[in-house]
Amino acid sequence: MQNPSGEEPETTLSVTPPKKWAAGVPAVVHALEYSLEQTSPKKTGVDLLTMNQVGGIDCPGCAWADPAPGERHRNEYCENGAKHINDEATTRRITADFFREHSVSDLAARSDMWLNQQGRLTEPMVKRPGSDHYEPITWDDALGVLARELKALASPDEAVFYTSGRASNEAAFVLQLFARAFGTNNLPDCSNMCHESSGFALSETLGTGKGTVSLDDLHHADLIFLVGQNPGTNHPRQLSALEEAKRNGGRIVAVNPLPEAGLRRFKNPQKPRGVIGRGTQIADRFLHIKPGGDLALFQALNRLLLEAEDARPGTVLDHGFIDAHTAGFEEFAAHARTVDWDDVHAATGLTREEIEKVRDEVLRSERVVVCWAMGITQHKHGVPTIREIVNFLMLRGNLGRAGTGACPVRGHSNVQGDRTMGIWEQMPDTFLDALRKEFGFDPPRPHGLDSVNAIKAMREGRVKVFLALAGNFVRAAPDSEVTEEAMRSCRLTAHISTKLNRSHTVCGDTALILPTLGRTERDVQADGEQFVTVENSMSEVHTSQGRLEPASPLLLSEVAILCRLARRTLDGKPDIPWETFEGDYGTIRDRISRVVAGFHDYNARVTRPGGFRLPNPVNEGVFPNKVGKALFTCNERVVPRAPQGHLLLQTLRSHDQWNTVPYTNNDRYRGIHGSRHVVLVNPADLTELGLAQGDRVDLVSVWADGTERRAENFEIVSYPAAKGSAAAYYPETNVLVPLDSVADISNQPTSKGIVVRLEPPRAAR
Amino acid sequence: MATHEDDAQQALPGTPPGTPAGGDGGTRRRPLREQHVEETVEVAVPVRTAYNQWTQFKSFPRFSGVVRDVAQVRPTVTVWTLGYGPLRRRFAVEIVEQDPDAYLAWRGLRQHPSHEGEVEFTPTRSGGTAITVRMLLEPRGAARALTRSGRVTRLAARLVRGELLHFKRFIEGLGQEGGAWRGTIRNGRVQHDHPEPPRSRVAHWPVG
Repeated sequence: MQNPSGEEPETTLSVTPPKKWAAGVPAVVHALEYSLEQTSPKKTGVDLLTMNQVGGIDCPGCAWADPAPGERHRNEYCENGAKHINDEATTRRITADFFREHSVSDLAARSDMWLNQQGRLTEPMVKRPGSDHYEPITWDDALGVLARELKALASPDEAVFYTSGRASNEAAFVLQLFARAFGTNNLPDCSNMCHESSGFALSETLGTGKGTVSLDDLHHADLIFLVGQNPGTNHPRQLSALEEAKRNGGRIVAVNPLPEAGLRRFKNPQKPRGVIGRGTQIADRFLHIKPGGDLALFQALNRLLLEAEDARPGTVLDHGFIDAHTAGFEEFAAHARTVDWDDVHAATGLTREEIEKVRDEVLRSERVVVCWAMGITQHKHGVPTIREIVNFLMLRGNLGRAGTGACPVRGHSNVQGDRTMGIWEQMPDTFLDALRKEFGFDPPRPHGLDSVNAIKAMREGRVKVFLALAGNFVRAAPDSEVTEEAMRSCRLTAHISTKLNRSHTVCGDTALILPTLGRTERDVQADGEQFVTVENSMSEVHTSQGRLEPASPLLLSEVAILCRLARRTLDGKPDIPWETFEGDYGTIRDRISRVVAGFHDYNARVTRPGGFRLPNPVNEGVFPNKVGKALFTCNERVVPRAPQGHLLLQTLRSHDQWNTVPYTNNDRYRGIHGSRHVVLVNPADLTELGLAQGDRVDLVSVWADGTERRAENFEIVSYPAAKGSAAAYYPETNVLVPLDSVADISNQPTSKGIVVRLEPPRAAR
Repeated sequence: MATHEDDAQQALPGTPPGTPAGGDGGTRRRPLREQHVEETVEVAVPVRTAYNQWTQFKSFPRFSGVVRDVAQVRPTVTVWTLGYGPLRRRFAVEIVEQDPDAYLAWRGLRQHPSHEGEVEFTPTRSGGTAITVRMLLEPRGAARALTRSGRVTRLAARLVRGELLHFKRFIEGLGQEGGAWRGTIRNGRVQHDHPEPPRSRVAHWPVG
């Protein structure tokens, strides 16, 4: 931990062997250590004991589902959730004096970690044109500045309203309502950068953009695939579900370019076997796949299943399901039979024998679930890969039955709910018609800008005002230098935030910091104390209510800020009761219940213990896509290749990190300590490249536009990454991801499979 | 009786009794070849009424002596909490076959099911309904030895009969069902001939 008011710490790398198991007692110790450094024991206790409990705080750390009420542990959180919640509940405060001491230029030179460690924002601040300092501003004036800029635009489409997945359903609904009443669909969100490929692939094939499983499905699956995900760090509570599946006799196949600790063994700190025992083995079979080889893997598995059916007709495929509920099987089967084993090996690095063993696991399993995360979605061929996973599930009818299904594992706690509430630049007419009927105005119909296109529009001067509801857009987005240039070209940038981050320091001519309440804090409005609602990764909608006193009396809630801004900007046209919304969030939920399908009796149902679960059409026997049936697809084969002397890079998070915010420079599961400027490379690749552990290099990405994108001065760590690949931390290496390098169909930035070469440091030359 | 709104949402009142829903082939009804328990009770309400009420699983704690809570995860999956005194047992159950007004088969959701069962609804000449429950108990571990004992099997049978009699008193007292789910389940999967049943009307757009 660094001194928050001090200088950046020296980074000295030390490397230890990667851990072979996740969690256990060390997770508890690290969580408490960080929490108590940030805040008082009392606040830590209040936070942790109400976290993920009925009537308590929904952990903003991830979107993993909670067990049913009555089935939850007294401590229903993970190490990373505990760190995150107490990072928000920190007792450190940023005041006007801080901004007098630190210019914007100074802050822009600081690390993400240093900025985060300064504490909670406590009052609205403005950076005026030509100034290099933020200064205090009243709420009235701050919202006036923003409203004036919005009203002065030549077109509403010159504004962009970005949402991060922390925003509640109520705040998200109010934001999209305001944006559309203002006249634009420019509503990019963090979903654009994490699971957009999942949404597009699932909507096309199954008719729903959401996963189909519940915790009960995972608990009772015979076989679970974990593909391109690292549950030990990014979704630690998933490990409890996997442990239960294992104890029920299920088996797990993990597919990943890195042999992460959480894929190997889990020591559940809430169980004696996790404290003093060996814990639970997670993966029964680990496929050390090359980045981007997952499409070829599932194509090969599908071919093997078809051939197994040929050998024993009527025993392998679920013909009842295929005949009654799917379309496109014949074309798919013909295509799948042409899979070439040399291509599969080149793409995956796996042998046919390894894949046949997985086929045998599948044939022994009546119920199969496939989980995936950004190791799939952030590839150029992320959408085809997920479509192929759906093909795989459909072949044996592993959809719509208990213990089966598709499980995209999402990150931010309400990333799914924000989309449900209409935060999407391409909302269908059915939703817009419902808005018109409820609020009496005609929402704009042309599609708006997603994150990548918003950056392009800012860079080209087509967008002049950028408002972010939470998040750290500058660091989450790809092509860091381009993104920063785009943000700096805006006339005004404004961020509704709890803590300082780089997006406040890379700003427009005018910049506003609008400090807001955190999840942990009491939210008292005119009608009394409020709660908000969220939707987790398994479509369960429930409440979240903080218990701590706000970090400052000057903080406004996200809903309050947006409602006040809407009043100032729209001048009563259309006639929407923003003041009522601000005073009583129940009135927002009443409107949501009439606009968003599945939310009838919202206020009543969400206050039941555990809330309610939105139905999933697939589990109701319905596939509401264009063809009305589950759709088999033919996906072109992809063999990701790096030219001679290059590697395929994936960006990833460290264990001691939440999204763009590193808490320390350590990544203890991978054995990295003291520095984040490291690149993990397979030892055989190092030999071929004439490099060795400890060498310093620049990472240079290769892209068609010929622009040199360089991440400077990284230290090499010899690591069991898949041969031909490398891994380095996000967001430091976002600079290497070209803005135009996006996934086909979904337009999601490709933070995986980036072609890079390792060069001697430019500074040393 | 109060209607469970979720279940009311499930109802497809236009579906006539026993409508074959197509889908995964015809019925796969596979009567249990072996059972530890078989009990039948006649109730003085029509088959449709008895069946509809039976599908309202969340109402079971209202009449049952042992069912403390039922959560319906989705049409084919329910999670039951049984209790006697301070003892509680929670388990998930999958409905594998369901024909409106006729039949329902379930199994415990475990690798090795600890139980499976079926319930049949048969119209009687008097206009009532004969409800037959058959159960196969396959506990694991120490409990396995217990079920080999005839005494324990008889106890289970008495328990099932008692529950059926509770249901009889409940539905006869109410006279009409408090909700209905009229879907068909084949091979553990809901079948629909309706293009968009009410419960499927949720957000369809991509979720990132």
